Amino acid sequence: MLFKEDEVARAEAKAVRESAGWYRWTHDLVEVSGPDAERFLDWMLVNRIVGTPEGRGKYTTMLDEKGEIIDDLVAFNRGGGVWWLSTLYGPHAVRWFDAHREGFDVSYEDVTHAWDMYSVQGPNSAKVMDALLDEPVDELKRFQIVERNVGELAVVVDRGGFTGELGFELYCKREDSVAVAEAIAAAAEPFDAPRLTTLEVYVRSLPMEKGMALRQDYKGLTPYEANLGWSVHLDKDFFGKEALVAAHEAGEKRAFVGVEIERESYEDIAQKEILYKRGVPRGCVTQMIYGYTVDKNIGFAVVDAKRCPVGTRVTIGPNDSPAIIVEPKWC
Amino acid sequence: MSRKTVHVICISVAPYKMNGCRTFYSTVCMLVSCVRGSQTGRQGPVRAASARLKEGEDMALLAHVDTHRGVETAFGKIIPEKEAYSYCLRTIAAFSANIFQVMRILNDSWEDRTEAITEIANMMNCAACAGGDDELFQYLDQFYDEWNIPELVKRAAWIGAIWGDYGVEAEDMAGRVIQFTENRVEKELDTCPWDIVGSEMCNMTTGMFTANFDIAAGGEHGAITNDVQLNMCEARGCGNPHCRVVAERLDHFNLDHQGWLDHRGAAHAPVHDTPPERRVKHGQGLRNGQYVQAFGEENSLEWQYNWVAQMGWVWSISFPLIAIRDMADNDDEFERILRIVFATAGKNSFIDFFAREGLRAWLDIPREIGDNDPRVMGAYIDAVLGCQLVPHEWEAFDADGVEIRVSQEDFEGRFEMAPLEEITMGYEAQWNGACHTLVSPEWSVWIAEDDDDYIINVGRKIDDRAL
Repeated sequence: MLFKEDEVARAEAKAVRESAGWYRWTHDLVEVSGPDAERFLDWMLVNRIVGTPEGRGKYTTMLDEKGEIIDDLVAFNRGGGVWWLSTLYGPHAVRWFDAHREGFDVSYEDVTHAWDMYSVQGPNSAKVMDALLDEPVDELKRFQIVERNVGELAVVVDRGGFTGELGFELYCKREDSVAVAEAIAAAAEPFDAPRLTTLEVYVRSLPMEKGMALRQDYKGLTPYEANLGWSVHLDKDFFGKEALVAAHEAGEKRAFVGVEIERESYEDIAQKEILYKRGVPRGCVTQMIYGYTVDKNIGFAVVDAKRCPVGTRVTIGPNDSPAIIVEPKWC
Repeated sequence: MSRKTVHVICISVAPYKMNGCRTFYSTVCMLVSCVRGSQTGRQGPVRAASARLKEGEDMALLAHVDTHRGVETAFGKIIPEKEAYSYCLRTIAAFSANIFQVMRILNDSWEDRTEAITEIANMMNCAACAGGDDELFQYLDQFYDEWNIPELVKRAAWIGAIWGDYGVEAEDMAGRVIQFTENRVEKELDTCPWDIVGSEMCNMTTGMFTANFDIAAGGEHGAITNDVQLNMCEARGCGNPHCRVVAERLDHFNLDHQGWLDHRGAAHAPVHDTPPERRVKHGQGLRNGQYVQAFGEENSLEWQYNWVAQMGWVWSISFPLIAIRDMADNDDEFERILRIVFATAGKNSFIDFFAREGLRAWLDIPREIGDNDPRVMGAYIDAVLGCQLVPHEWEAFDADGVEIRVSQEDFEGRFEMAPLEEITMGYEAQWNGACHTLVSPEWSVWIAEDDDDYIINVGRKIDDRAL
């Protein structure tokens, strides 16, 4: 939970928006390999995986048999038939793959315990990274992934992140984590780029302002309902496609939207708090947070698509907090 | 928003004769009530529970009806699931409050008894994952996976905060994580079913949270090894409007390690006090029909109900009892005091005439059943067992007496790994006391063994040395 009076959190958010900030950002990492790895991932994932160049990655969702989102992740082609899936649900992904691997010569492993991960985000993040690494990364394209060194330590760097700013993610061996963190701190210091310590700032506040959601926001929606239709490639086969097409043809019943509440704070609004239109439940908030760039209490919600278009006035939670439906992106 | 007639889809039949037929059957079975339409407004259920019609069973209007669960009383009234859940929590808390009264009789030092139960709570929580490092990490990984706690939250250091959050939420404390940084976690709780137990418990819960920190840190089990000070700096059980639990890192705040009695200290950074208009009366489960933790993992109210009906007995009764029994000179002394305390609690439950009338209304006891009728007490016991999710069967239910059969394993082993014979001792004394004021002193309650079962009797009994 974040409050507008929290000056520490505000300073951390401001640093990322105006200069740079860094933090430990360890995701689950599933390594996929084998002769059919690419074909398998193309079947399991909604976005087009076949043809992804070596050293590049793609954001994608993964669906269940109902055509609803069970995960969203970035799939990186690491070369040599090896893929990295960066997700927050590694064990879930492995179990899901176990259930659907028949007919594919593929292997996969949750390698989360082997790799630590840091994120450097903000307009000056490329300068921090170039000061940190043996070779520059400022020319990387989005989701491009390369190998570099921090001093003598081998690391893997991609251009990406979850703040809506220019940013980079750095993977290092777990045993090198402390040394790498010290090196990032040293490289960041000349740019007044602090280490962020407030989880909610970099997990919720900064991303939400830019319209970036977590899987917990999207879970159970179709990619179309989640405003991710751009990632759906109906000219290829993928798991859940048939149900997704049917649901799409029937018309989306739910909408993924933004909400702004008009009260000072949102202590009475938890995840999945019920949203009412004229006293009738019409959806739920998936999460709320304070956005320091926009200086508002903002949230994501899943609502009845027909009854709750943008501009609808609603209330949220047990104390009837007044709110308005808005586009799910604030800056 | 109109609420329609209740439609029974799946039924357990109450023993009392309705419409000329009588079937004896357990009333613990969940019953389904239905509300027309999916949107029933603030007071109505907003989310279908598990007992839906199966797909393809299109029964005209019923196919469009949401279904909800409940507990049926002896007279056919349905106690809604949320109400039954709340009552279950409160009965467990009341049992715990009685046990704590026993403790206070046995030991007149607040410090001694608080230290004892806090230490045992810490040890038992640590013991939950005792074993070698491999087992510990396996246990933690399973926990992280189950609750999808991502590594990016530095979970090894802050599992206590995350775990505590889910724990108290599941136990209906409307907790919210006010602050979650690398150096500090603050949680604020507006409601707590256990707020009647007393201050020792408020301190004791911090012992459990500390154990969670210790477990995650991989330190010496059962010892305070972590680098965090953990304070319940406000507690509803002590009269504060909130419970407020704050964990602060020793190095960041320049703090010392705590002892067992140090957990009620003040926070070392300013706290956030939620204004009254944004406090909540109920936890997520009751508000929204489900619990969702910070990272979006969802559990239904049904899951939460089952979890609490087991674990509530473990942490709030079983763990402290280990220390409390040690405070008595011997088992006889402990059990003598326990029976006296529970008998008194029972008598006081229905001393007020309006309490008796309230119970009759709650259970829908018909007027043809008079005040001096054992079925009133039998129906009450049945409702307690039903709401506590304890399977039981009727053996007799008439004006001559009531007999309820329950397996000893179900009655005492609410959590099968930690059976409590004190449940039988306590409830026998409490219900007997309650019977004397709810019905009359002509009627008594006693629990008899029958092979692997208990028979809970409400009958006439003359005891020249009655408590």
